[in-house]
Amino acid sequence: MDSLFVLIPLSVLLVLAILGLFWWALYNGQYDNIEREGERILKDD
Amino acid sequence: MSAITADALSRAHPDAQAGIYNDKVVRQFSVMAVVWGVVGMLVGVIIAAQMIWPALNLGQFGLEWFSFGRLRPLHTNAVIFAFGGCVLFATSYYVVQRTCQTRLFLGPLAALTFWGWQLVIVLAAITLPLGLTTGKEYAELIWPIDVLITIVWISYAVVFFGTLATRKINHIYVANWFFGAFILAVALLHVVNSAAIPTSFLHAYSAWAGVQSAMIQWWYGHNAVGFFLTAGFLGIMYYFIPKQAERPIYSYRLSIVHFWALIFTYMWAGPHHLHYTALPDWTQSIGMVFSLILLAPSWGGMINGIMTLSGAWHKLRDDPILRFLIVSLSFYGMSTFEGPMMSIKTVNALSHYTDWTIGHVHSGALGWVGLISMGALYFLIPRLFGQKKMYSVPAIELHFWIACVGIVLYIAAMWIAGVTQGLMWRALADDGTLAYTFSESVRATYPFYAIRLVGGTMYFAGMCIMAWNVWMTVSMGLKAGPVPQIRIPAVAPAHA
Amino acid sequence: MLDRMANSSVAAQTALAQPGVLVPEAPAGLAGLLGQHRGPLTVDDDFLVLDDPLEQEDFSHLVEVDGRALQESILMVQGMYCPACTETVEAALAGRKGVVSVLVHAATRRVTLRWDPAQTLLSGLARDVGKTGYRLLPMRHALSVEARLAETRLLMWRLFVAAFCTMQVMMYSWPFYITEPGEIPEVYAHLLRWANWMLSVPVVLFSSMPFFQSAWRDLRLWRIGMDMPVSIGILVTFIASTGATFNPTGVWGPEIWFDSLTMFVFFLLGGRYLQSRLRDRTAGSLDALMNRLPEQCERQLADGSFEVVSLKRLRVGDVLRVQAGQAFPGDATVLGDSATVDEALLTGESQPVTRLRGQSVVAGSYNLAGSALVRIDKIGRDTRFGQIVSLMEQASTEKPDLVKLADRIAGPFLVLVLLSAGFGAWFWWQIDPALAVPIAVAVLVATCPCALALSTPSAMLASAGALAQRGILVRRLLAFEALCKIDTVVFDKTGTLTQDRVVLREVIARPGLEREQALRMAWPLASASLHPVSRAIAVQAQPLASAPHQGELGAAPGAAPGGAEPVDLVQERPGAGLVLERAGGVQWRLGSAALCELDEAQLLAQGRSVFDAPCAYLRDEHGWVATFVMDEGVRADAPAAVAKLREMGFSVHLLSGDRLGAVQRVAQQLGIEQVVAGASPERKLEVVAALQQQGAQIAMVGDGMNDGPVLARAQVSFALGHGAPLTQSQSDFVVQSGRLSELVQTVRVARRTLRILKQNLCWAGGYNASMVPLAIAGYVPPWLAGLGMALSSFLVIGNAMRLSRLPDMPVPDPAAAAAALSMR
Repeated sequence: MDSLFVLIPLSVLLVLAILGLFWWALYNGQYDNIEREGERILKDD
Repeated sequence: MSAITADALSRAHPDAQAGIYNDKVVRQFSVMAVVWGVVGMLVGVIIAAQMIWPALNLGQFGLEWFSFGRLRPLHTNAVIFAFGGCVLFATSYYVVQRTCQTRLFLGPLAALTFWGWQLVIVLAAITLPLGLTTGKEYAELIWPIDVLITIVWISYAVVFFGTLATRKINHIYVANWFFGAFILAVALLHVVNSAAIPTSFLHAYSAWAGVQSAMIQWWYGHNAVGFFLTAGFLGIMYYFIPKQAERPIYSYRLSIVHFWALIFTYMWAGPHHLHYTALPDWTQSIGMVFSLILLAPSWGGMINGIMTLSGAWHKLRDDPILRFLIVSLSFYGMSTFEGPMMSIKTVNALSHYTDWTIGHVHSGALGWVGLISMGALYFLIPRLFGQKKMYSVPAIELHFWIACVGIVLYIAAMWIAGVTQGLMWRALADDGTLAYTFSESVRATYPFYAIRLVGGTMYFAGMCIMAWNVWMTVSMGLKAGPVPQIRIPAVAPAHA
Repeated sequence: MLDRMANSSVAAQTALAQPGVLVPEAPAGLAGLLGQHRGPLTVDDDFLVLDDPLEQEDFSHLVEVDGRALQESILMVQGMYCPACTETVEAALAGRKGVVSVLVHAATRRVTLRWDPAQTLLSGLARDVGKTGYRLLPMRHALSVEARLAETRLLMWRLFVAAFCTMQVMMYSWPFYITEPGEIPEVYAHLLRWANWMLSVPVVLFSSMPFFQSAWRDLRLWRIGMDMPVSIGILVTFIASTGATFNPTGVWGPEIWFDSLTMFVFFLLGGRYLQSRLRDRTAGSLDALMNRLPEQCERQLADGSFEVVSLKRLRVGDVLRVQAGQAFPGDATVLGDSATVDEALLTGESQPVTRLRGQSVVAGSYNLAGSALVRIDKIGRDTRFGQIVSLMEQASTEKPDLVKLADRIAGPFLVLVLLSAGFGAWFWWQIDPALAVPIAVAVLVATCPCALALSTPSAMLASAGALAQRGILVRRLLAFEALCKIDTVVFDKTGTLTQDRVVLREVIARPGLEREQALRMAWPLASASLHPVSRAIAVQAQPLASAPHQGELGAAPGAAPGGAEPVDLVQERPGAGLVLERAGGVQWRLGSAALCELDEAQLLAQGRSVFDAPCAYLRDEHGWVATFVMDEGVRADAPAAVAKLREMGFSVHLLSGDRLGAVQRVAQQLGIEQVVAGASPERKLEVVAALQQQGAQIAMVGDGMNDGPVLARAQVSFALGHGAPLTQSQSDFVVQSGRLSELVQTVRVARRTLRILKQNLCWAGGYNASMVPLAIAGYVPPWLAGLGMALSSFLVIGNAMRLSRLPDMPVPDPAAAAAALSMR
């Protein structure tokens, strides 16, 4: 199962990256105003 | 004035383009999606026929490039990457622009992705029948094409994320999260799985070998399904269902939870493809458990999409496009239930290597991926060509019903065939030897292959109806005048 | 100070129903976002006060963007009911010159506006928004709201990290669950353990911080709370598992417990996060009440003219003109002839009082009749109002402490756990020393108080959520426990047991005159005054006054459309009533017997008046026309609620600032024997403190500012939804509907909550206890610890969910209640 030496560290790195991504989203205000975002797309063109 | 001239004019005045969406590449991908859909499904029909009439392999004519072994990967690549891929490119480019209210980043690079991707498809169509293959499922293409794919994909990521980075609306709509995850995941999967050491222009040795290769392959394979065929198309669902239904998604909050829940459970489901193989038991078990857990987030997304119509179910009666979109979700739900069930070791002991697996794949592919793609294309194409609706709405209806009947015939046939095979293969006679020979099981399942051919042909026929409808719509659109240049709505400075 | 006073006036202002001031709707609790859509407001304020730099300090601050000096203001939008409203507000602001960015946050109705002071004025922007039907108000406590939201956001981030890592750690732990030791080649087992360790580090170093911080705080105070065993559990588990990861043959043994660790943190943090969100929602609803335009008033200049200034600029000695319906901004001396003031919220006086020239009016009381000229004597903390607020703050620090039930058992629990671990270590040391530490660790992990720590928050959150659905806001979850210890309920009178204003009970009319006719006749006078008695009559008369009838007065003076009639003159005589001079010289009077020149004793004898209730008389040129009998209007559900409370074993007291006669009247109606009348806020506090000295556990129910200190001091406090916002924001429970029956309901809910809480604690404690012998015997592998932790936690949560639905209790029909009180 040598592939695990690649897959496991890779997925740990991925987890850290995903955590970072969520942090960015949260502090960028992506989840501030959830309720209206669903409606917003209905207004375009 | 034709579309070409109008585009050329707009190219001549680049400033004029700044306030206009780049729908040219969307148009290109949309039309080619239909073309490749027809091609890919035709190949599927051919290989299904070959399984009934082996003579169709045309071996006696020495046409080995027409044989089943060569055509099957052509079919899978054509429907997944050519048809599915073009749909994803078209819709993601369309959605990201409109939800960010900005034009595509680096238009020329986007154009490169189109031509590059078509080149990949054409090269696949040439090399696969010629027998040039790596032997890895859904990753059969030889290494030079893999390199081309990497170039196109990196360009795709640059265009997509660049558009997000230059957005005018701060909030990134949930569909874009799914698209983004799909793009990044596919990049990772492709690079890792296709890692190889070339020996000549047409041949390379994979970086992985033996059971390791199997593990990596199915880590790739399942995540290809999970991210290419699921996350990407969920992005499509989250945009086009609300737009077509003219109602916001049922719970936007749930869609965000759905996104995060899905991506972190998907990574480890791969081993369920390798039950009862040389893979260690404990790895197989992880795959089983996490495939089961995957059920919850998948169904969360399905419910979110379907309940969008809550209070407006009557729309399904009158709107066939909406029907495509919503019914695709029920097939999604079915497949995401069936999959975890099949990943349970005891069930898998029956289903592995049988046609049940094929049935499962096709319920997801024809039911979920196919129908949602068709719905999205029916939404897009009139708008892209300045029409209020498709040339013939009754044709959409017809397409829907033919497709649905085709799907049901297909998967029912495969279930029966699969279970029959599984039971027959494991049956033991009183003395402990196998009760049936392999050819006996083939004879038993043969009629169901015929039914499958009928189902698949119906589905293909539906696709042809769609192609005709699209052709008529596009012609009408082009005859009526230059293609529409949609203005990006003016947004107040730094509008959040 | 002044803003608190201004806030206290919201309720009274809305009672006076001034145009343009919208009654804040009762938030629908946790369900429903903004409520039903209503139409646009009529906004005709000039908003000039928003430009005052002194005011702006409250809600604006300077930001530097690309070298430009911009202002960032946080304002509240009044009148927003749906997401579409946010579009309108944003559109109104986004294109304006000088506006750099606009962000409207629908759920909290906040707008964050960045604008360039060099290019535009806030008043202009507010007026533009006003044209679209929404009113911008400065966000009170803008900075503390921001701080609170930032705290919740950080908590959500910690929770996400814990959740994600828990998931991944479970995945990597699974192989160990299903294999025999040695089945996985050691190198891969090590890889998996390493991955688990990597993923647990963020959970311990980051997600667990709230527990460590709270345990440390407790430690410094020599207290043991529930967070102590929690923190010890986390730390020991992590250290032991780290040891096992990097040195499996070392002293810590080979077992890793990262799965239990991360799951533990995830569950507990989840509970905390939900508590934080509940607090945000409750505080948000209450904050919404406190927002209004900064008060302005007219200050006289040296030359006799008046300038409009913000209250913040007032100084002692300023001469002000206070309009009818405004609150007096400071303790002041009356310079005009007289002023009629409503001091109800401050003193509990149900009747307005008249202050003559040279007498004092109190900050926070309302000017009822005409504009009053006053000179400011005291401002801010020095005013009566300010003294009450100080008293309130002080009282809250003297409130008897309640140690949470869970915290009380935390100490003994911790001791037991440590003893068990110690025993296990000692026991195995005799047999096989290498196993001593691992067994001790196993004991600690198996006894991690996951379910135990979840017992309390899960029950309280479920109950708080259920109550919120009914319109009862819970500000302090601990109040559930406190409420179960209560043996005495103390009620305020005015506005609590009675309606917050007088109600017309009965009309005795001249023979031959119908009740409706009498009301129509009174309408032109009653509608011209803000006096509570006039308003009580006007409320009943208005629907009847629309259609003119022959032989009667017809439309209100001066209100005839097109001005067909010549204008009539209505004079208000402070403390007496109203006089209407008709164009033809005919005079009508509405008010006291003295004003109407009637002999009250004679009227009583004739059965035309009533002895024990305040009356207003109507006379025309011929003499007596009608008597309007007022009633303080005991609330419809008050008798039943009080009776029920007594039945439940509580001793009920009535503590009021109003006159003895009025108080006794109400006490008799409700069957309350212990009565204290004429009590100032200080006196109220003394009474309650004395009761507490005798060992009483008190729940106080009130609404006004004068109840503030007592509500702060009582073990449990209930504020009613119509009362002073400041009072509401400091009370444990806010009954938004004002229905006293909800009190009984809340007590029932609190008792049920405590019952279930105790069940949870019993079960959780029992589970942990049963795990101890198993762990000592070495029968608790990591998978069992994790499974047990998960199952016991789910059981506790499931049990708590039973509290999400309130036991059935009929909601009194408001129409029926009104009918019961109607003046037939």
